[in-house]
Amino acid sequence: MNASLMSLEIWVIALGVVLMLADFGFGLAPERRRFLAYLAIATLGTLLITNLGNYTTGTAFNGSFVEDTLAVFFKRFFLVAAMLVLFMSVEFSDRIAGGITEYYSLIVFALSGMLFAASANDFAMLFVSIELITITFYVLTSFQRGRLISLEAGVKYLILGALSSAFLVFGIALVWGTTGQLNFNKLALVAAQFETNKIFLLGVLFVLVGLGFKIAAFPFQIWAPDVYQGAPTPTTAFLAVGSKAAGFVLLLRVLFTALPDIAKHWADLLIVISGITILYGNLCALPQRNLKRLLGYSSIAHAGYLLLGVAALSVSGQAALLYYLAGYLFTVVAAFLVICVVMRHLDNEDISALAGLHQRSPLLAVTMTLAMVSLAGIPPMAGFFGKFLLLKAVIQQGAINHNHGYYCLAFTALVGVVISLYYYFGVIRAIYWSPNTPDLSPIPLSGPVKFSVCVCIAGMFWIGLFPSVVFNLATEAAKALSL
Amino acid sequence: MKLELLPWLILFLPLLAAGGITLFTLRYRTVSALLSIGAIVTGFVLSLVFINANGWQPSSAESIANWLTIGGLHVDFGLKLDALSLMMLLIVTGVGGAIHIYSFGYMHADRSFSRFFAFMSLFTFSMLGIVLANNFIELFIFWELVGVSSYLLIGFWFEKPSAGDAAKKAFIVNRLGDFGFLLGILMVWGLLGSLNFTVLQNKLTADPAVLGGMATVAALLLFCGAVGKSAQFPLHVWLPDAMEGPTPVSALIHAATMVAAGVYMLCRILFLLNADALHVIAWIGGFTALLAALIAVQQNDIKRILAYSTLSQLGYMVMSVGLAGPTPAMFHLTTHAFFKALLFLGAGSVIHAMHDEQDIWKMGRLQKKMPVTFWTFLIGTLALSGVPPFSGFYSKDSILGQALSQGNYALFILGAAVAGLTAFYMFRLFYVAFLGKPKTQAAEHVHESPAVMAWPLRVLAVFAVIGGVIGVSQTYASQFSPGEARESFGQSLVEPLTHSPAGVLVGLAFIAAGFFAARALYRDAASDPLPEKLGGLATAMKHKFYFDELYEATFIRAHDFIAAVMDWIDRWLVEGLCIGLVRGGTDLSGRALRLVQTGNLQTYAFLFVLGVAVVMYFVLGK
Repeated sequence: MNASLMSLEIWVIALGVVLMLADFGFGLAPERRRFLAYLAIATLGTLLITNLGNYTTGTAFNGSFVEDTLAVFFKRFFLVAAMLVLFMSVEFSDRIAGGITEYYSLIVFALSGMLFAASANDFAMLFVSIELITITFYVLTSFQRGRLISLEAGVKYLILGALSSAFLVFGIALVWGTTGQLNFNKLALVAAQFETNKIFLLGVLFVLVGLGFKIAAFPFQIWAPDVYQGAPTPTTAFLAVGSKAAGFVLLLRVLFTALPDIAKHWADLLIVISGITILYGNLCALPQRNLKRLLGYSSIAHAGYLLLGVAALSVSGQAALLYYLAGYLFTVVAAFLVICVVMRHLDNEDISALAGLHQRSPLLAVTMTLAMVSLAGIPPMAGFFGKFLLLKAVIQQGAINHNHGYYCLAFTALVGVVISLYYYFGVIRAIYWSPNTPDLSPIPLSGPVKFSVCVCIAGMFWIGLFPSVVFNLATEAAKALSL
Repeated sequence: MKLELLPWLILFLPLLAAGGITLFTLRYRTVSALLSIGAIVTGFVLSLVFINANGWQPSSAESIANWLTIGGLHVDFGLKLDALSLMMLLIVTGVGGAIHIYSFGYMHADRSFSRFFAFMSLFTFSMLGIVLANNFIELFIFWELVGVSSYLLIGFWFEKPSAGDAAKKAFIVNRLGDFGFLLGILMVWGLLGSLNFTVLQNKLTADPAVLGGMATVAALLLFCGAVGKSAQFPLHVWLPDAMEGPTPVSALIHAATMVAAGVYMLCRILFLLNADALHVIAWIGGFTALLAALIAVQQNDIKRILAYSTLSQLGYMVMSVGLAGPTPAMFHLTTHAFFKALLFLGAGSVIHAMHDEQDIWKMGRLQKKMPVTFWTFLIGTLALSGVPPFSGFYSKDSILGQALSQGNYALFILGAAVAGLTAFYMFRLFYVAFLGKPKTQAAEHVHESPAVMAWPLRVLAVFAVIGGVIGVSQTYASQFSPGEARESFGQSLVEPLTHSPAGVLVGLAFIAAGFFAARALYRDAASDPLPEKLGGLATAMKHKFYFDELYEATFIRAHDFIAAVMDWIDRWLVEGLCIGLVRGGTDLSGRALRLVQTGNLQTYAFLFVLGVAVVMYFVLGK
């Protein structure tokens, strides 16, 4: 056993424990507590550089924990996401009545769950890491205990999450019962024998249901808008970025490391799910006025775009998916940062609250505009090149397999993009061309907010304009999968 | 080649001036004017220096900078430097420079003085680009730039609706010609695979039949460009309306630049024009000359008379090109640049003094009050009429001689008759506007224009007198028919008589007839006696043979109809039916799907399990 492979996870859990204890031990004054968050950010940054800058690959715990390029790609992703979300949480802290330190430490614990998910290589690890993430998010979602809508979101997430976990664990049991294997690599060796075993297939399907819930793919997307709307904004951002990415890394591992032979037969299922998810998310977003809910639907649509990469069943598709996630990270965090700052004193996050933002805070207006442009997939932002790579992978696969479904899927995705332009530019219109702008008071920005906003803008541009670095990393990571 | 940098400087100085004025000195009127004038005058001086150093035929005829390569298309940005372009360089910067200086006085009271000079410099830059271009793409770009800057200048007083309309008309009519021009360029590129003039010429010299059956089509398409820019029938309608611009603009457009571009282009690409095409070109030119001269006889606006005379003279030049005589064409273009600029600036001087009155029947007896304008205008009139020994005599006679030497007697008689008409309408103008009794109060109280306007008149007048004998013709001939011996000054003075005495005599007879007819009719006339004598013909002349009305009733009406149909299709079929249905459908499905999100947890859980069931059926049911 090689426990040193897990040093990153151990450090992160230790950090979470320290954060929790710090509040007890030192009895910090409330306004000082933000330094705990900065401490956490600094630690995570150090870990990002030292621990992941120079990594060793290998497996631990009888192969249930794997450190490979894919795991490292996602670990970097999760660390960056957590750091940005912590910045956002500091900005949000005045809206959380008590226990802000707990909020920070819960984010760190959720992060540790995501890190384990990135390395999960058997079903037990998969289940444990998913539960670590999900249960932490139950708390994070309902953290604004004074707000009814936050509690409601928490309850919905809890019950539907429990339902999906039930399917997941049932599916794992069926797979184990039929094959006797939990380890992905070992399962891959025997899976071909069970291709026609319906019990086995049912088990796999239930596992996918559980993962589909995490990524909010149709038909398991139903919770997303309500939870996105109700949860505290940093939670929503982390949910949209971290939790979704964790779902995708597990989905990739299950489909392409454990069950490549089964996945090949399920191309049609993946195509249909991906297409419907795109359409559902984009169509529902059209009439939305609540910005967080709109982004909830938009995140469903993006789950659909990301599923293009899964449905392509090719290395280039998986690489495109990873690339797209990287761009999505900065884009979504940027959007939620703006919401978090602008809608500080508002009960509901109506789009009209953005009116005149370009006069109140040009930086935030530009950030929001760039984020929307990137989400819509317009060059030169990150979202454009990501969508391009995904579509390219899908069309390539269609040409290789002569499967017209892939062409239909690419067309559906394009239709989705066109629809999405409407509501994304609706947000931009609200910023610059609102007829009545009741509040034109300037918005004060703290240093950390400016910093994180600039990081997001730089990220969006960097990934969009200089795609080669991230794309090479993504391609390397995708090669770690068997298919 | 020495001083290779100079032509580049000459070309780009006006652009720098235009940019500088627009960006920095819009508020400083004098600085703007000096920048613009400085750019063009410097260009003139540098041209002289360059010609002095290299002669009329520099050792290498091109200065090239690679511009872009797209697949097989290789486009240079190069300068063609030979006798033709160098002479034009002198004309554009020289005559243009005189007009710039004159404008300083003429436009002094205008609100947008700086803007005017910025546009003038842009115009100069575009024209120089046409002159120096060494390939079709470059030529076409500058060709269009001339179109744009003429649009800006003609519509300079855009607050006047008529000026705006005239600018649009000039631009659109030019675009019509340019469309054919572009097709011609594409055809040449498709057939010959190059756009560089030197390369094209070499290919055609090596194999004259390389264009095959498309030769005439390509040549006529290219000619379309000249028809638009040089205002030949049937696209001649824009030029008289272009009088809506300030008078120096008219002088610039009519004399040295825009309209000259078409003739210049034809001479530049003469090797591409075959005999059939030349025949068409000659007749279009001749017809335009006659048509415009007839219209000019019955115009009363001083600038419009000059405008139609320009059309008529351009007809001469195009006719000459069509008669395979580029040398007479360019010769006439050059002398015409001198005396037409002189006439326009003189007319501007009169208009200025008369407080923007342009009707010749409201002027009269200006010789005492405005001596400089009077005498210089007289010189211009004599030169334009082709009276020896003024410059117009030599150039016009060389065109008539060309017709004779080609054995085309029909066009020769036509040309001679037009020369008679020219003398008639010019002296009509002169008698009515400058001599006789003052016809209005304003005409009695005119004053001579300031020195800054008078001096360009004097300089141009000198060239209008001597332009025929200072070797212009020989310079062009050195390009188009090398090997001919250069003539001495004395020889060139009597050249027409030795070359084709019959042509000279017939031409002079017509001119004399025109002059005496004008003298008899208009010497002391208070109103025009001609309409009574000619009846319906005079009315038709006055109304420009109803071309505008004809176009209005046919092309514009048809165009409006098609536009209305398209508008209807766009509004109702595309926007309403197609887009409307799609948009409505999308919107509706969005709203309907939203109802699924009830917010009710039991419903959510039910839908979740339903989803699982559906997927289960999808995978395992089959």
